[in-house]
Amino acid sequence: MVKVQERRHLVLIGNGMAGINTVEQILKLAPSTYRITVFGSEPYPNYNRIQLSYVLEKSKAVEDIILNDWDWYLENGIELYTGTTVTHIDTEQKIVKADNGMEVPYDTLIIATGSTPFILPVPGADKEGIVGFRDIADCQNMLHAADQYKKAAVIGGGLLGLEAAKGLLKLGMDVTVVHLFEEIMERQLDHTASLMLQAELESQGLKFATGKQTEEFLGDDRVSGIRFSDGTTLDAEFVVMAVGIRPNTALAKESGIEVNRGILVDDFMRTSVPDIYAVGECNEHRGISYGLVAPLFEQGAVLAKHLCGVDTKPYEGSVVSTQLKISGVDVFSAGEFMDAEGLSIVRVHDDWRRIYKKVLLRNGRIVGGVLVGDGKESSRLQQWIRTGTVMTEAIHNAIVGQASAETVNTVADLADEEIVCGCNGVTKKHIVDAINEKGLTTVEEIKVATSASRSCGGCRPVVEQILQYVLGDKYDSAAAKQEAICTCTTLSRDEVVTAIKEKGLITSKEVRYALEWDNPEGCSKCRPALNYYLGMIWPAEHVDEKDSRFVNERMHANIQKDGTFGVVPRMYGGVTTPEDLRLIADIAVKYNIKLVKVTGGQRLDLLGVKKEDLPKIWQDLGMPSGYAYAKALRTVKTCVGSQFCRFGTKDSMGMGIILEKKFERLDMPAKFKLAVNGCPRNCAESSTKDIGIVGNEGAWEIYVGGNGGIKARLAELLCKVRTDEELLEIVSAFMQHYRETGKYLERTSEWIERRGLKSVTEAVVNDLDNRRALAERMEVALAQVKEPWSEILNNSNLRERMFEEISVSTKQD
Amino acid sequence: MEPIVDGNEYTYYLVGHVDDFTERLGRVVHLGKEEIAVFKTTDGQIYALENKSPGPRGGTIAEGIISGQVLFDPICDWQISLADGHVLDPDTGQVRTYPVDVLGDEVRIGLFKNEGGEFHE
Repeated sequence: MVKVQERRHLVLIGNGMAGINTVEQILKLAPSTYRITVFGSEPYPNYNRIQLSYVLEKSKAVEDIILNDWDWYLENGIELYTGTTVTHIDTEQKIVKADNGMEVPYDTLIIATGSTPFILPVPGADKEGIVGFRDIADCQNMLHAADQYKKAAVIGGGLLGLEAAKGLLKLGMDVTVVHLFEEIMERQLDHTASLMLQAELESQGLKFATGKQTEEFLGDDRVSGIRFSDGTTLDAEFVVMAVGIRPNTALAKESGIEVNRGILVDDFMRTSVPDIYAVGECNEHRGISYGLVAPLFEQGAVLAKHLCGVDTKPYEGSVVSTQLKISGVDVFSAGEFMDAEGLSIVRVHDDWRRIYKKVLLRNGRIVGGVLVGDGKESSRLQQWIRTGTVMTEAIHNAIVGQASAETVNTVADLADEEIVCGCNGVTKKHIVDAINEKGLTTVEEIKVATSASRSCGGCRPVVEQILQYVLGDKYDSAAAKQEAICTCTTLSRDEVVTAIKEKGLITSKEVRYALEWDNPEGCSKCRPALNYYLGMIWPAEHVDEKDSRFVNERMHANIQKDGTFGVVPRMYGGVTTPEDLRLIADIAVKYNIKLVKVTGGQRLDLLGVKKEDLPKIWQDLGMPSGYAYAKALRTVKTCVGSQFCRFGTKDSMGMGIILEKKFERLDMPAKFKLAVNGCPRNCAESSTKDIGIVGNEGAWEIYVGGNGGIKARLAELLCKVRTDEELLEIVSAFMQHYRETGKYLERTSEWIERRGLKSVTEAVVNDLDNRRALAERMEVALAQVKEPWSEILNNSNLRERMFEEISVSTKQD
Repeated sequence: MEPIVDGNEYTYYLVGHVDDFTERLGRVVHLGKEEIAVFKTTDGQIYALENKSPGPRGGTIAEGIISGQVLFDPICDWQISLADGHVLDPDTGQVRTYPVDVLGDEVRIGLFKNEGGEFHE
């Protein structure tokens, strides 16, 4: 018998950002070290408290700010008790007790109880209609109040107060910000910045009562106004207190843990009692209780490492920075911000553009800064402050905003520990070390070695700059442009495609053998790419290699994170019928579909389908696959057009359906989206599509290279055509030209930037012979496509092997 | 058919025949309460791993791309050694593996004794 080692029991009190962030890091470092139980007083899973102001101004719903949904707790085996408040810690027996009578023993305990809004101790503070702004319930209170009442007061002109005030204003209330001091945000902004901010907020409709000390709340049961110490009053039917926060220490104090303003912790978040830790706003570290998110993440990182036995530097405090999260107002502040002796100051004050920038230096080093109206440099400024960077000509130019001949080498400025790839947590040092130690010369190699730029790719330009910076003269920009298609080979896309044509290679195995791949069976990069190139070059001869397809293209459905799939049938041009809708509805009920979603591409997605049910659903639907998973034509989005719309000049639905039927199922280098509009009002959003077509009186305009995704790009006008035949031919030539010259996974937005609009226009519009030849090759390729769902349904062997799971009982009889 | 009990720790259950598995295409096998991804490599070897991605985003691994004795995780693109379930550099982690026994064309997968039999039913 194998003895199962009992895992240590970690109990977390407080289901908020600080605690759960720590747990997430623990799970990453040592997933099986702890059995974890979490208590939270609120009835929600962990959400992003910072974004409550977005919920208040209704730009986000509560669901949008959930950071860890219920499934996350389940998937990670975490026992979660929401709506449950821990009332006592027995530090001798190592047991926590909750308000519902539960008693849970712990080996290790983390207290992350956060903080509560400080309520002014003045007469009437307990009246109805006076709330704090701290959690979802407060937010809902405020939303509710905005429906019923008109006049609101927010007490506190700090960060939180201003965000709350702006939210209530947006909800239609008449809002006055009451502030004890003459200047708002006086703890982060100097005189000039504060006045600029106030003026900006006043222009947006907020009112201010500054220099006012609240003495009493007026009204009977419900608040009706505020009386100040100078004798003046303010009418208010609803009051939000945002004067500050107070760490929640009652539980710790009552349980005999040392407490000052917050729960006292050392540099590893240890409290005065062994095995009990405190993290986040509830603690006090070296005399400071932080009320911002960055420090609590930094604390969490140290604590997680400590608990997992991973070597870590002690937490030595944070440089805090402030950024106001109000739409239309850019305000940033960090470090020192007031003029003082011994400081030299770089200042830009532009009243016309309403910009104020101030950077404070001590002995030439950057120690603080304030930005109003232009927050572009905020993240770099924060970095400079944190590391005490010495002011240079280049930094100065960046701040003052003068175009200098030499642009700032942003990469050189980056500190070693600065995170370059946010998705995978890769620092500059990681990357630099990998380049030096492993002799890397391309971004692709860095990606493999460090994971930087592997997920969303947004940091790729920075990674490339770092490479350039480290390699200096040895950096070969041509090599970078002609990058190898993967690490199995040194050959670029163009070299591989040329070799396939010249050597007549038909299967990917032949390619890898003939071109001397390092890895005889390839990798997840080159396998799908070669399969695409071979199919593009030899449409009739190449046999599709299912084992080289990504899961979605192989299963002809979209895999979801729980291993179920999404099914999207075709709905040509986004047009359907009552019969089809009824059929889809019946099937959704029959197969117990978890969610039916109207997609961005004007059709329906049935989510939560079990793998084994896929073929059954396809059979019942009797509709073709919508290819919502493929590197192929996804949808043709259309507006109503001339069939019904009074503005429509062209039959956009009709043309959209023709295009979708003609080009569906054809493999492309990447996903491909079309839109057809009946008039220039552009309701089907042509400017963010690979091809966007806009109908005018007597002509079609063709826009290309648009993208609404990670790297947004507006489509550019390719040409105007008069007839439908011309439109079809040019669309066909454009798509084929992209198929023949695009790199696998390269969207048209990137492709067109690489090749230039001019060269593309020449190839598919102006050069008539070439245009015709492209369109002819397109017809050959189109002749090969097959409807995949029916193909699988008609091939019982394929169906069984791909979709049916094997079940074996372990019962012995 | 009676499961084969070896002298030590495992009980082996018949889950299918060699031809039930396609080269480089994973197949899910439910064995008692275990969900197992079974892979046949180009050289005919059969491997059984817990059908659970080691990556941070979760998901299953049966749908990954197989190259040699390595599986590319379909969700996070990590590389997983089929032989011992170890995640290859630069990532870290491990997927549970199950012993596989091929006798003739019969494929058997082993579970710890206390995982099989009536213990789980």
